Amino acid sequence: MEDVAIDENWKVCFAELGPGLVLFARQFVRSVADAEDIVQDAFVRFWKKEHSIENRALLFATVRSVALDLLRRDARRARREANAALEVEQSTQPQFDFDDDSQRELAAAVDRLPVEQREVLVMKIWNELTFAEIGDALAISQNTAASRYRYALASLKKNFVSHE
Amino acid sequence: MNDHSELEAELKKLRPRAASPGLSTRIEHALAATATTPSAGVLSKRRNSRINWFGLGLGLAAAAAFVVLARVNTDRTPGKTQSVLGVTTPVPFTTVAPEARGSFVPIGLTQVVYGTRDEGLHFPKGTDQPVRRLRSQKRETLQWRNPTTGTSLRLSYPSEEVTFIPVSGQ
Repeated sequence: MEDVAIDENWKVCFAELGPGLVLFARQFVRSVADAEDIVQDAFVRFWKKEHSIENRALLFATVRSVALDLLRRDARRARREANAALEVEQSTQPQFDFDDDSQRELAAAVDRLPVEQREVLVMKIWNELTFAEIGDALAISQNTAASRYRYALASLKKNFVSHE
Repeated sequence: MNDHSELEAELKKLRPRAASPGLSTRIEHALAATATTPSAGVLSKRRNSRINWFGLGLGLAAAAAFVVLARVNTDRTPGKTQSVLGVTTPVPFTTVAPEARGSFVPIGLTQVVYGTRDEGLHFPKGTDQPVRRLRSQKRETLQWRNPTTGTSLRLSYPSEEVTFIPVSGQ
C-alpha cells in the first residue's frame, strides 16, 4: 500500500480501512449516518494533510477528534447520544454482521462495555493497531491502553459467559 | 500465556459492517473539490515559503531613506572643506530639511565607540609637527520618526574614524 502513488490511492486505503474506521466512529455516535459523516470528514482531512497512511494512530486520533467535536458542537446530539449509550439494548443498526445468535450476544456484550474500553477493543481487535499506536491515538500510555484492553476482555468474558 | 485467546478469536470472527457505497463517493467528491489530489504517505510535505512583506517594506523604506539623506548631505555645503587634521565618516544628519526626507524627522543619533587603537606618531607631508593617529571603531544608529503616523525608522551601521592629534614637542 505504501508504494502506491496515484490519484486513486485513497480508494485502496479506504477500502481496507473504511469498515474499521466506521466501526470506531460508531463507538461515539450510534447512528451509522453520523459515523460515516465523521469518517468522511476525518479521512478527507487526514488525506489532504498528506500524512503517511502508515500513521494509523494519527488517522484514528483524527476520527476521534472529529467525533468529539461533533458531540461538543451539538448539545442536543450529545444528549441524544448519551441517552442512547445508557440504553442497554442492542442498537437498531448493528455494528457487525452476524452468523449466529452467539455472535449477536457477543456483539451486545461489546456494546455494553464502557466507551474507554470499547474504543481500545475496536482498535485492537478489528483494526489491529498495536498498544503503542492505540496509546498515541488516545493520548494515553501504552500500558494504560493494554490495561483497558485486558479489562475489556475480562468484562466480556464475565458478561458473555453469564449471558450464554 | 494469554487467558483470553479464545475470546479474542471469537471477537475477530465478528465482521464490522461495510461502509455504505455512498461514503466512498462522498469522499471522492470532497477530495476532488481540492485543487490538487494529495497522496498520503507518498509525497513529501510542501514547505510554505512566506515572504514577510512588512519586514521587506520596512527594510526598503530604511534603505531609501538612507540614500535620500546621504545624497542631501553630500549636496549641502559645497566648497566648505575642513582644514582640521581628521577624517571622519560622514554622519548624514541634522540640518536636512524635512521636505527632503518626506515626512520623517530625525529624532536621534547614537554613536557607540567599541574600540580605539593608537597607531603611533606620523609626520604629514608639508608639516614639521608630528601627529598621533588614533583609529576608532564605532557603531552609529540613526533614528527618524514620522510625526503624522508615529512610524519610526532606525538605521544602524558600523563606522570607523581616524583622528590625528597634534603633538607638541617639548
